[in-house]
Amino acid sequence: MSDAPRGSAPDSSQAPQSDEELMIAFSRGQTDAFSALFTRYKQPLFGFFRRRVANPAQAEELTQETFLALLRAASRYQQSALFRTYLYAIGFKILSAYRRKAAFRAAFLSEQPPGHEPAIDNAIETQALMRQAVGKLERLDREVLLLREFEQLSYAEIAGLLGLPLNTVRSRLFRARLALHDLLAAPASHSSAHGFAQSKERL
Amino acid sequence: MNIAAHPVAPEEVMAFLDGELAPAEAQAVSAHLDHCAACASLAVRLRGTSESLAQWSVPPAPSNLEESVLAQAIKGTRNPSKPASTAQLSFWNWRLWAVGAGGAVTVVLVVVAFVASMIYSEDRPRAQRPMASMIASQDTAGSAKPQVSNMLIAQEEKQSAASAGVVNLAASADKPLPESRVAGGGGATAAFPAAPAPMITRTVSLIVVVKDFAAARASLDSILLRHRGYAAQLTAATQENAPRSLQASLRIPAPELAAAIAELKTLGRVENESQSGEEVTQQHADLAARLQNSRETEERLRAILTQRTGKIEDVLQVEEEIARVRGEIEQMEAEQQALEHRVEFASVDLQLTEEYKASLGSPSASVSNRIRNAFVAGLHNASETILGIVLFLEEDGPVPLIWLAILGLPVFLLVRRYRRVKAKF
Repeated sequence: MSDAPRGSAPDSSQAPQSDEELMIAFSRGQTDAFSALFTRYKQPLFGFFRRRVANPAQAEELTQETFLALLRAASRYQQSALFRTYLYAIGFKILSAYRRKAAFRAAFLSEQPPGHEPAIDNAIETQALMRQAVGKLERLDREVLLLREFEQLSYAEIAGLLGLPLNTVRSRLFRARLALHDLLAAPASHSSAHGFAQSKERL
Repeated sequence: MNIAAHPVAPEEVMAFLDGELAPAEAQAVSAHLDHCAACASLAVRLRGTSESLAQWSVPPAPSNLEESVLAQAIKGTRNPSKPASTAQLSFWNWRLWAVGAGGAVTVVLVVVAFVASMIYSEDRPRAQRPMASMIASQDTAGSAKPQVSNMLIAQEEKQSAASAGVVNLAASADKPLPESRVAGGGGATAAFPAAPAPMITRTVSLIVVVKDFAAARASLDSILLRHRGYAAQLTAATQENAPRSLQASLRIPAPELAAAIAELKTLGRVENESQSGEEVTQQHADLAARLQNSRETEERLRAILTQRTGKIEDVLQVEEEIARVRGEIEQMEAEQQALEHRVEFASVDLQLTEEYKASLGSPSASVSNRIRNAFVAGLHNASETILGIVLFLEEDGPVPLIWLAILGLPVFLLVRRYRRVKAKF
């Protein structure tokens, strides 16, 4: 269902250590700990950006940037939250910096804003549809939904990451899921989608 | 959804599916789902959404990701290898130029406005300088009227003893007041050596603070006496609970001016002193020339009257003409006299103020009166302050508003554009 690693407990098949232990080990200079972390989070983090950024090359670059930031900040790492929350928080910062820069360039330097990329692969047409449907949600609803469905974060983790109250996370997630259900059920007819008109206004 | 009077909120169903409920709550919701059709169908919808989302898979991350991360970490540089995808800033496109040019024009406008106002305020006092313009007009007038200067030279030859200069004239005449000299007849004023020595009317203004007012007043009188000056006007104010002061306009003979000023300064502490001089040489020379002409005309008319005989009408006409010319001559003589007086006597505006010492024994207003007065003054001040603010806003408010509109509108448009584009990401 998802490409997120199942929890952070040390019951993952090959690695005996938890993410947090690995990170602490790496911050003390064990480079193979970083390799292990990289192997675990390469795909989830790539997916994180790939679903949020239309351009695949850009997604790859942002993934790289996030890991680089992780490397640079390793010596300052302190276990205050789950490692994955920490990682996604870094990812979020890098993503919003990228969005700011790209929006600035698009607004003032007449660069084209990234449209949804053409369906290169016919086999993944459903994914293009999915991206389109998710794109129609309100921005914060979309973020909450993606973090829950793909990054498998708990409500509390999402609330911490986005700086929202827990109840807001819950109600937004609920709203996003129902809206998405309607959007996916009737992708052709625009008017039937519940909450769609509202989310379209904000886009 | 029939939320009203429903034991389980729809969001709780979702939280149950997400495994976010505490065990007891989860059990309750689970039991509820077994016999509530609405909630069960909601659960199906939510599950369905999650399942369809799960189809959105992502292609595997590039295999060389780790190597490139490590390579970059070793290099210690950020994104050195992929400039194309980060989209280099294209610095030469028109939009950037437009924004830059707009900013530059605004800055230039502000600077120009500032500099212009500075220059304007500097110009005004400069225009009021009298000396330079006086000298310039003297030069041009001198060349334009050769006969005047010729005549002046002739006059000077006659009066060879007087070596020119206003100051010298007063000294050689050895008379402090001009009336006696001028009263000597037309000859004395005509012989006044106007050129080449400059005639200058001098004005001095002094503000002196003295310790002992009475003594200062006495010595002021003695200074005037010693230097043969006089007070054209004098006002002394002696108020209760306030420093005494004296305002006087003095006339001091020009040669004595420097000595008199020096003595006046010894009266107390000089707070302010200013001196100015105005050159009236040309004015005086013009007047003398016109006077000479009028006198000659008078002479001729008198000669006509005595030598020629004619009709009574003609005689009357000539007499009338003589009377008119005589009137002109007298007017000009008076002008000349006033001018010379101004040259001979410098004008000193003196202000004497006593250093105030409040005396303890002075009767003061009653406490209740003072409280009342202070209250009234406070009310007055408050209303003045409010009025001042209102006036300030009326007077200076519109300009910032205009600037706000000029600068704010483009900024607002740019920000709005940025926000709109950002929402698309």
